[in-house]
Amino acid sequence: MRIRFLLVLGLGGGLGCDATNVPPEPTPPSLDTQLRASLGGWGVVPIGPMPAQNPAQVALGRALFFDRILSGNRDVSCGTCHDVAAALADGRSLALGTGATGSGAGRVLGQGRQFTPRGTPSLLNSGIGFDQVFWDARLSGRGGAFTHDPAVALPVGLPNILAAQAHLPVLDRREMRGNPGDLDVFGHPNELAGFGQGQSAEVWNAVMSRLLAIQEYVAMFSAAFPGTSAPRFDQAARALAAFQMEAFTRTGSPFDRYLDRDDNALTAQQKRGGLLFFGTARCATCHNGPFLGGTSFANVGAPQVGPGTGAQAPLDLGLGALQTGEFQRFAFRVAPLRNVELTAPYFHSGAYPTLEAVVTHYNDVPLALSTYDPSQLAPDVRNQYHGEPATVAAVLATLDGRLRQPLGLTPAQVGDLVAFLRGLTDPTARNLRSLAPAQVPSGLPVR
Amino acid sequence: MLQRALPLAAVLVCSWNAAAAAQVISIRTVPISQSHQFDLFPSRSLAMGGVTIAVDDSLSDPFSNPAKGFRLAVSRFFGAPGVYRVSQGAGAGRTLPVGALFRSGPWFGAGALALQQVDLSEPMALALQVPISCRACLDQATVLPTTQGSNGNTFAHAMVGRPVSPGFSIGGSLSWSGLHGVDGVDLLYAGSSRLVQRGHALDVRLGLHKQWTDDRALSALVLHDRYASTHDVYYLDSFWDPGSQQFDQRSRLEENLDHTNTWGLHLQYTQALRAPGWRVGVTATTNLASHPKIPNYEIQNIPRDPGNSEAFNLGVGLARTVDASTVAIDLVYEPIWSHTWADAAGPVETALGTTIPAGGKTIENRFRFSNAILRMGLSQDIELDRSTKAMSLQLGLSVHRIDYSLAQRNHVTATSRQLDEDWVEWSPTWGVSFRFPAWEVRYRGSATNGTGRPGVFSGNFATVDAAPRNILVAPSGPISFGNVRVMTHQVSISFPFR
Repeated sequence: MRIRFLLVLGLGGGLGCDATNVPPEPTPPSLDTQLRASLGGWGVVPIGPMPAQNPAQVALGRALFFDRILSGNRDVSCGTCHDVAAALADGRSLALGTGATGSGAGRVLGQGRQFTPRGTPSLLNSGIGFDQVFWDARLSGRGGAFTHDPAVALPVGLPNILAAQAHLPVLDRREMRGNPGDLDVFGHPNELAGFGQGQSAEVWNAVMSRLLAIQEYVAMFSAAFPGTSAPRFDQAARALAAFQMEAFTRTGSPFDRYLDRDDNALTAQQKRGGLLFFGTARCATCHNGPFLGGTSFANVGAPQVGPGTGAQAPLDLGLGALQTGEFQRFAFRVAPLRNVELTAPYFHSGAYPTLEAVVTHYNDVPLALSTYDPSQLAPDVRNQYHGEPATVAAVLATLDGRLRQPLGLTPAQVGDLVAFLRGLTDPTARNLRSLAPAQVPSGLPVR
Repeated sequence: MLQRALPLAAVLVCSWNAAAAAQVISIRTVPISQSHQFDLFPSRSLAMGGVTIAVDDSLSDPFSNPAKGFRLAVSRFFGAPGVYRVSQGAGAGRTLPVGALFRSGPWFGAGALALQQVDLSEPMALALQVPISCRACLDQATVLPTTQGSNGNTFAHAMVGRPVSPGFSIGGSLSWSGLHGVDGVDLLYAGSSRLVQRGHALDVRLGLHKQWTDDRALSALVLHDRYASTHDVYYLDSFWDPGSQQFDQRSRLEENLDHTNTWGLHLQYTQALRAPGWRVGVTATTNLASHPKIPNYEIQNIPRDPGNSEAFNLGVGLARTVDASTVAIDLVYEPIWSHTWADAAGPVETALGTTIPAGGKTIENRFRFSNAILRMGLSQDIELDRSTKAMSLQLGLSVHRIDYSLAQRNHVTATSRQLDEDWVEWSPTWGVSFRFPAWEVRYRGSATNGTGRPGVFSGNFATVDAAPRNILVAPSGPISFGNVRVMTHQVSISFPFR
C-alpha cells in the first residue's frame, strides 16, 4: 500500500514537473493595440472642448479680425494673411503684407515692398494652449507672463498668448503698419507708420483712436467690456483672442475621434501610417504631445527661401537669430500638425507644396536639401531661394541629430504616412468662409 | 457611457462545489489562475485531488446530482467556512456557507445559504489609493463610485428529491447567486479606475440515480445554467483642456455585458469489479453553451459579440478500497469546440473591396481544445479509540492540461492567423477529518500552481495586458502573467439534528 501510494505521488509529480510551461510566442498584436500603445508613449491625448467665450467679445473680435482699419494703410486685416479661404493661412511660401494686392496664393507684391521673411502660420487651433507663437517663438509664455522682444512693452495681465500676440502684427511695418510716408487707401497719411521704433503704446493708442471714431465700435467695446469708459488696445486684443478661440478651434479630425476610442475613425492605411509616425519614421520625436508639435524647435533642413532676417539676411537663422548657441541656428518652431493637410506650402519657408514632398524630404534630409528643386516654389518667390553650397552646408552643419540618417521609407510607407496626416483634418476646417462677415464697422472691404 | 459586448465567451463556473463544477465545463484560452471562489460546500473528494468518477462523496454528491441525496440517513446541519488567497496580493476571499441536509420519510432535501467577501486584487487596490486629479469629474454625469476594497456575494441553494422505486431516485435543485465580486475580474480591465460588478447566476438541475443491488449505479443529470453579469468599468482618461490650458482627467464609463447560457447532460456509471475492493466508473458530460454577450476585457481590443461552444468530458475512473484505505484515479479527456465572432455595428468596407453589412461577421474565431485531466487521491481512515469514531487523512493531486488551437479569420482585412497554446496546471490537495459520535469536523486544503494573474509582477517578469478568468479570448498580443499560487483552506463542521 505504501509503495503504491508513493508510486501514485511520483507519477503525479512527474506529470506536474513541466507545469510552468510558458505559452509559445503569440502572433503580433492588432493594429489598434499597437497604435494605442504607441500613442501613450508620446503624450498624445484627446483635446477637450473649447469653452464658450464671451459672445460680445467674440463679436467684437470678429469685426476687428476682418477690418482693415487696424493696418496703417487701411489695406490689410488679420484676415488678409490668415485667409478663411486658405485654412487661416494664405497658401503662400512667404507672406505679403501691407502694400500687396489680391488674396491668397494670387496675392501680388506691392511696388517697393518686400516679402515677409516667412510663411503665414495657420491660426487653426491657435487658442488651444500653445505656449509659443511665430516660427521663431519670439513670443512665448502663458498665464500672463510672456517672453518677447524687450523693445515692445506688452500690457500686464493679458489672459493668454493670443491676446499678447494680437499686439504685435500692428507694429510690424511689413505686415500691417507700413512705412513712413505711406498713404492709406484713401490717400491720407498713414499716421501709424510715423511712430518710431519703440513707440508701441503710441501705435496702439492710434489704432484705438481710429476704432473709437466709429460709433459701432464704441458700442461693441461697451458691450464686450462693460464699465470701461476708455477702451484700450489690450481689450481689442482680448476680443481678437476670444474670437480666435471660439471660431478657429477645429479638433474633430478622424484622429481625434480615434483618440476618443472610435476604432473605426481611421482607415487601416491611416493606422499603418500612424504606427510609422509614432514609431520607425520618428515623426513623433518632434511632433508629440496633445498638439502633435508646437512645443519645441528643430533644424529640419528646410530650404532657405526669402529675404532673411537680421544681421544674417538674406539667410534666416530662425531661433538662432534670437538666442546664442550654435545648435539653434536654422532651428524653427515644430509645427503642430492638426489640419496640416489644409495649410500648404510647408515649413517656415513654404518650400514644399505637398505632404508627399515633405515626407520625402524627411526620408533623407541631407539628400533632399542638397538636391532641392526650386521649381516647387511659386514663380514669384523662386528668386528668393538660397541654394548655394555654402548655405546648404551651413544648414546641414546644425541639422537635428534625429534627421541625419535616412529613414529608408518605401513609397508605400510614404503613402501610409501621408494618409495618416490627412487623417488629422477636421472636416469643418475645410470651409471657413462663413466666418468672414459681410461687412465691418469701418466700411472697408472684407475680402 | 459606452456599452460593449466583447470577445470570447465567459463561462462562469458558478456551481457550488468542484464536483458540480465538473458538470459545467470551464473553457479557458489563457492560463489565468482560478481561485476556488465557488467551492463552497464540504467535500471529501476535493481533498483527494478531486476524484469523483469511481469514488462516492457522501458530502458533496447531493449538491452535484440531487438524486444522490437518497443516501442521507440522518438530517444534518453544516457550516463550512473557507478562505482562499492568491499569492502576491492578487486576490483573496472568505466564505461562510451554512445549511442543512434533511431526511423525512422518503423525502430528502437540502437548503443552504452562503455569504462571501471577495477582496480586490492589490494592483487594483493600489490604483484606488493613488490620488486622482480630476477636477472635472465632479461636474460630469459619470461620477466615479466610492472605492471598495472588497465585494460581497450571496448564494442560496435548495434541493429536494425522493426515491420513486427501490433503488431509483429523482431529485431537483435550484441554486441562485447574487454576484458583486467575481475573483480576478478587476484585473481584466487594465488601466481602469473602478469596477462595479453586478449580476446573478441561476443553476437548475434535474437528476436521476439508479442503484442496483450488485453495487452498480447509473446517474443522469440535466442542468441549465444561466449567467448574466454587468461590469461597469470606470476609466480616468487624460485630456488637454483648452479652457484651463492644462492636462486634466475625465471619467468614462464602459458597460460590459457577460451572458452565458448552458445546457448540460451528465451521465455516470460505476460498478464493482470482481476483484475485491476495486471499483470502476465512466462519465460522459456534454455542455452546449451560448454566449450572447461577452465582455470586452482589455486583452482583446477587437469587439466580439456572441458565440457558442460545445464542450465534452469523457472520463474513466478506478478506485480500490482495502480495509480503511482508498486509492482512486480519474482520467478525463475534454474535447471542446468554440466559435465566437464579432458583429459589424455598421457597414464595413473590406480590403477586398466588398462591404460587410451591419450585423455581418467581421472576425471569426474557431477554437479547438484537446484537454486532459488527471486526478488521483488517497484516503486513509484511522480508528482512534472508543470515544472517537475515526480520523481520516486525504492526499491528492490534480493535473489539468489545456491544449488548443485557434483559427481566426478577419473578414475586414482578409487575413487569417493560427495560434496554438498549451499549459499545465497542477494542484496538490490534502485533508484531515475527525468523526465523533455527535459531530464531524473536516479540513481540506489545496495549492494551485501553473497559472498566473495579470498585473502581477514576479521578479523580472513584468506582466502586460489582462486576461480573463474562465474566458475564451483570442489573444491579440503577448500573453504574459506573473506566476501566482492559489491557496485554499476550508473547515467544515456538521452534526445531526434528529
